[in-house]
Amino acid sequence: MEFGPIVRALSRNRMRTLLIVLQIGITLAVIANAVTMIKGHRAKMQKESGFDDDNLLWVHSKPYAETYNERSFRITTTQADVRALNGIPGVTAASNTNFVPWQGGGSSTEAKVAGGDGTKVRMQAYVTSPQILDTLGVHLVSGRALRDSDLDLDPKSTKSTVIISRALEQLMFKGKSAVGQQLLESDNSVDTIVGVFDKFYNPYGFPIHEYTYFADGIASYGGARYLVHVEPGKMKQVIPEIEKRLLQVNDGRTFEFKTINEIKNQYFTESRIVIGAMTAVILLLVIVTGLGIVGVTSFAVTERRKQIGTRRALGATKPAILRYFLLENWIITNTGLLLGIAMAYGLNYLLVTKAEGDKLDWRFVVAGVVLLWLQGIIATLAPATRAAAVSPVIATRAV
Amino acid sequence: MLAYNARIATKSLKRNPVLTAIIILGIALGICASTTFTTVRHMFARDPLPGKSDKLFYVRMDNWDPARPYPTSESGPKNANPLPPSLAFRDVTELMRSNLPARQTPSYMTILAVYPERRVSRPYQATVRVVGSDFFPMFDVPFQYGHGWDKTADAKAEQVIVIDHATNAKLFGGANSVGKRLRVGSRDFTIVGVLKPWRPFIKMYDLTQNFVGEPEPLYIPFSLTRPMQIRNVGNSDGWQPVGPTFDDFLASDVDFVPFWVELPKPADRAAYQQFIDNYVRAEKTKGRFLRPLNNQLTAMHDMMVEMGVVRPALTAMVAMSILFLVICALNLTGLLLGKFLARAPEVSVRRALGATRADIFLQHIAECEIVGVAGGVLGMLLSLGVLRFIAKLITATTIISLDLEMILAAIFLSLVAGLIAGLYPAWRICTMQPAVQLKV
Repeated sequence: MEFGPIVRALSRNRMRTLLIVLQIGITLAVIANAVTMIKGHRAKMQKESGFDDDNLLWVHSKPYAETYNERSFRITTTQADVRALNGIPGVTAASNTNFVPWQGGGSSTEAKVAGGDGTKVRMQAYVTSPQILDTLGVHLVSGRALRDSDLDLDPKSTKSTVIISRALEQLMFKGKSAVGQQLLESDNSVDTIVGVFDKFYNPYGFPIHEYTYFADGIASYGGARYLVHVEPGKMKQVIPEIEKRLLQVNDGRTFEFKTINEIKNQYFTESRIVIGAMTAVILLLVIVTGLGIVGVTSFAVTERRKQIGTRRALGATKPAILRYFLLENWIITNTGLLLGIAMAYGLNYLLVTKAEGDKLDWRFVVAGVVLLWLQGIIATLAPATRAAAVSPVIATRAV
Repeated sequence: MLAYNARIATKSLKRNPVLTAIIILGIALGICASTTFTTVRHMFARDPLPGKSDKLFYVRMDNWDPARPYPTSESGPKNANPLPPSLAFRDVTELMRSNLPARQTPSYMTILAVYPERRVSRPYQATVRVVGSDFFPMFDVPFQYGHGWDKTADAKAEQVIVIDHATNAKLFGGANSVGKRLRVGSRDFTIVGVLKPWRPFIKMYDLTQNFVGEPEPLYIPFSLTRPMQIRNVGNSDGWQPVGPTFDDFLASDVDFVPFWVELPKPADRAAYQQFIDNYVRAEKTKGRFLRPLNNQLTAMHDMMVEMGVVRPALTAMVAMSILFLVICALNLTGLLLGKFLARAPEVSVRRALGATRADIFLQHIAECEIVGVAGGVLGMLLSLGVLRFIAKLITATTIISLDLEMILAAIFLSLVAGLIAGLYPAWRICTMQPAVQLKV
């Protein structure tokens, strides 16, 4: 092997070597960290809500008719709306609820177990009509679902019927069943738990993403909101039909429609920007450094045409020349990668402490190393082949 | 001489158009990535009200549950002494009696129905910002017609309204509608002002929720809260039982009113801190504010930091994009080195005919700078497209443009990149021995 001559040749061309080493080093550092960032944001986006997000629609009825100032009118209209929605072909289930998945917030309350140790727990709190489980596509684990007869319309009432998420049951009742138990809220209202469902995940400002209850009630203040579960692929047809049917119920209002995926996309704007940009950076980096290696190796070949000719004249075969350049590049690449591994961890430390990010996963570093090895070989191949094609005659023409 | 160098450089660039294109594209990508993310970050980080944001203070007072502090989240605001993000209505009403601040305004959001003339448009719901008369001068809100309301309107809870440019275009065809009537939320309002098109990048007057959204189309006096029984939409925080009536709600400790004061001098700030501390101490004797005294006056800039307006992910992206530019510059150096040295025989002839080393050096640096600037300009054009795309992802109406500062920075960056990348190759070619090449 030509290790000796290669290393000596490289040490004569320190600048050229340094250029590639640095380029490969920084490239590895950037790629490994970019992949880590992409993975972190992917994980956030792929977190399952437990709901059938793809087929859920949010409908906001925005009333302007003054009759809506009457509470009783709001209630009867809302109930009529729910009946109308559930009768539309293509709609599998619809609920009146103030819960909107994936908007990064909602409403919350604090409550303790009646007869418990008094620990107050913060949880998301929503009111809904009874169809909520079918609408979201979540399953009842124990107890029963909400019913129409649970509805208590007395405005002074401090009692309500609720179903809670399994995560909340585990947190508050420590493995025992919550069905039949009661929650005491800080406004002195009492919630009787009749059922437990799974799964529920809705990112919130406080760390209570998986804890929630749904209380039987009417959500109509500021305009009733509905969640509608649609048969797969029917979203486009169903929306105008919903508008038509609800206007038949009452036409003193306008409507806003949003699919849950639109709301989710908005919530994940930052993640989508990071993923898109970092993917572009990785692709472009591979191309840019690839071109760089081609350029510098070509230059190294041109500069040494005479030496190559001499070697050929003295008996070196074409494969020997090819091997020489591939090996030279391999040594440079490895030096760069060694530097790159150190830089990747250094950059990761800075990102984690000064900006944001997860700890670097060593597997991404390994993947980056393999990628850059391959890239090095491919990028060197063309110039090295040209080097091998240098005619021995060159030697006789030299100075 | 400069023109001569530029001419030779251009000639040399034309000789190998593919290589030139690759080099320019490389620089352009680097400049595009770094300008894009630096600009996006700059849009969030820059002072939304230059010269003013250190005089505007956000007021918070801790009226939360004595048993435990206001809850915080891992991804939420960073505050050593967490407290509710807004104030209770009753406290804002009391604080507004003080004349210590040069200006002061509450600012919360609600939704009301708008009833235009039947032939113009169907009724519709609109978001409405409920503010004091000082809101408009405090946040430099630009008027096209008329102006905000005055203190008398605040005091008498007059039914006056300011509408934005788009609403005026929709309901009044863009004409001067000052003095006209508009029915909102079952009351008749008199229009006193029409805004110019106004889309601040962040809603600095309400940083606690959706600050990337667009400003509300309508503005009405805060003093109408009680007579119109307006409830806010968005954040409201409470920990105690609240009675059923609207007056119970206003008298409760439910926090829903963001409140800003303008305190021009540090002494004013100290005096106002003293004032709110005294207010809370007095309230404590009446059995309210049961937590330890924790009143915070936060300058707008610090509030932006606390609310995480500059997302850490953006800082990470800026770092990554600058490293990307560095790689592009290193790459450029390598390519130029090859290009220049391949030209050794030609340069040797010029040297032999009397060109000095400095001439050769300058000639090559000129070539690098031409490439650098061409790449920089192309990169900026690319970044305009990318920025437009990113803006649309944030909200439909968000606008991100390159301001003069960023354009100058990008040009400077591309000049520096070209210079640094070209320095070594130019030096190598000018220090080469012409004799060796000429012997062939």
